[in-house]
Amino acid sequence: MALKSKLFIRRAEREDLDIVVSWMQDPDFARFLYGDPARSPKRIREQIVAMLGRSAGNTAPSAVYLIIDSPDDGPIGLVSLQNLSWRNRSCSVDFYVGSKKHRSGISTAIAYYRALEFCFDELNLHRITAYIYAFNTASWRIMELSGAVREMTLRDHVSRDGRFYDMYAYGMLRPEFETLRDKNSHRLEGKSLAEMVANQQQDSSQTESTP
Amino acid sequence: MITGAHSIIRTAEADDAAFLRRLYDPDRPRAALLDRRREPLTPTLDELREVLGGRTKGRQAPSEFLAVEDTTGSVVGFCTMRTSKQERNYAQFVLMLFEEDAYDSPLAEETLAFLKFRAFQELKLNKATAHCLDCESGFRNLLVRNGFESDGVQREVLFTRGRWHNVESMTLFPDKA
Repeated sequence: MALKSKLFIRRAEREDLDIVVSWMQDPDFARFLYGDPARSPKRIREQIVAMLGRSAGNTAPSAVYLIIDSPDDGPIGLVSLQNLSWRNRSCSVDFYVGSKKHRSGISTAIAYYRALEFCFDELNLHRITAYIYAFNTASWRIMELSGAVREMTLRDHVSRDGRFYDMYAYGMLRPEFETLRDKNSHRLEGKSLAEMVANQQQDSSQTESTP
Repeated sequence: MITGAHSIIRTAEADDAAFLRRLYDPDRPRAALLDRRREPLTPTLDELREVLGGRTKGRQAPSEFLAVEDTTGSVVGFCTMRTSKQERNYAQFVLMLFEEDAYDSPLAEETLAFLKFRAFQELKLNKATAHCLDCESGFRNLLVRNGFESDGVQREVLFTRGRWHNVESMTLFPDKA
């Protein structure tokens, strides 16, 4: 059975600032973020502005930020590809779903797959890394289902709610992504990144030609 | 200056830049000298002088970067403790010696003991970490002898000299120190 999802990913714009900041200010969401939970709203806003304001003209950026968008619900999350190394062909991936409605379920998994396609098929990466807190079960389950390998368990690495928690480091190499693709290509029929872009272009040309 | 039976540990100065530069050897990559993207750095002598002289804003304070000398006063390596800006409960131990054999010496044991004392007795940290590439067996063996345990290995993170390298993360908790 083919999976149905209208979700697509696109480059984050300045206009996305307010919604991304609102996600970051949600305590339920912030708990899963790396860094000091006591950051002020002003500091969060400054960090997001710095993120989204990076030069678009840079052909070899060190970070790429992508919004997970939905025609029905608008932006629902953010994919952050950081520490992009064009020498090692690797990056670290952070995957945030701000919209509570979409935090679990197949749509998140499809958006994650879209991000992997972007990393391996468009950026030609060799490896991606993801660091996930042990208590963020939904996120690391997606990693494991995708075939990523839990390469490290950083014990008692992060302090939250007065106690220490482990952090997992996942790695996915290109052959592991190819295996994932082979296993799921029939389920994602009509949902490849290329088809998604083509559909978008078709939609926007139809909108432009409408009087 | 900390004077031990086998080593002298002191603040690194701008004059030590040429020694530090020796560690950036492309044939002997070190996990501690990779940047956030895990790419090897190739700093100039001037840049290293600035870092050690403390004139570069935002870089590590020179007082945290320490030269390790043997008892004759020759610089044999460097050490430091890097703390995370994000999570402040642990530090990364860095110990870089010029000679691979030196990791199996009382000088190396003494230097690591100094870092452990600073981390756990003075700063009361929750844990210490260290990273080593698959070609840094001397450093890894020293860590294991001192109670560090492996957290796992990240595969194929660095590409240099035509091959991939893995990096291993090691952790030491105060009760094992």
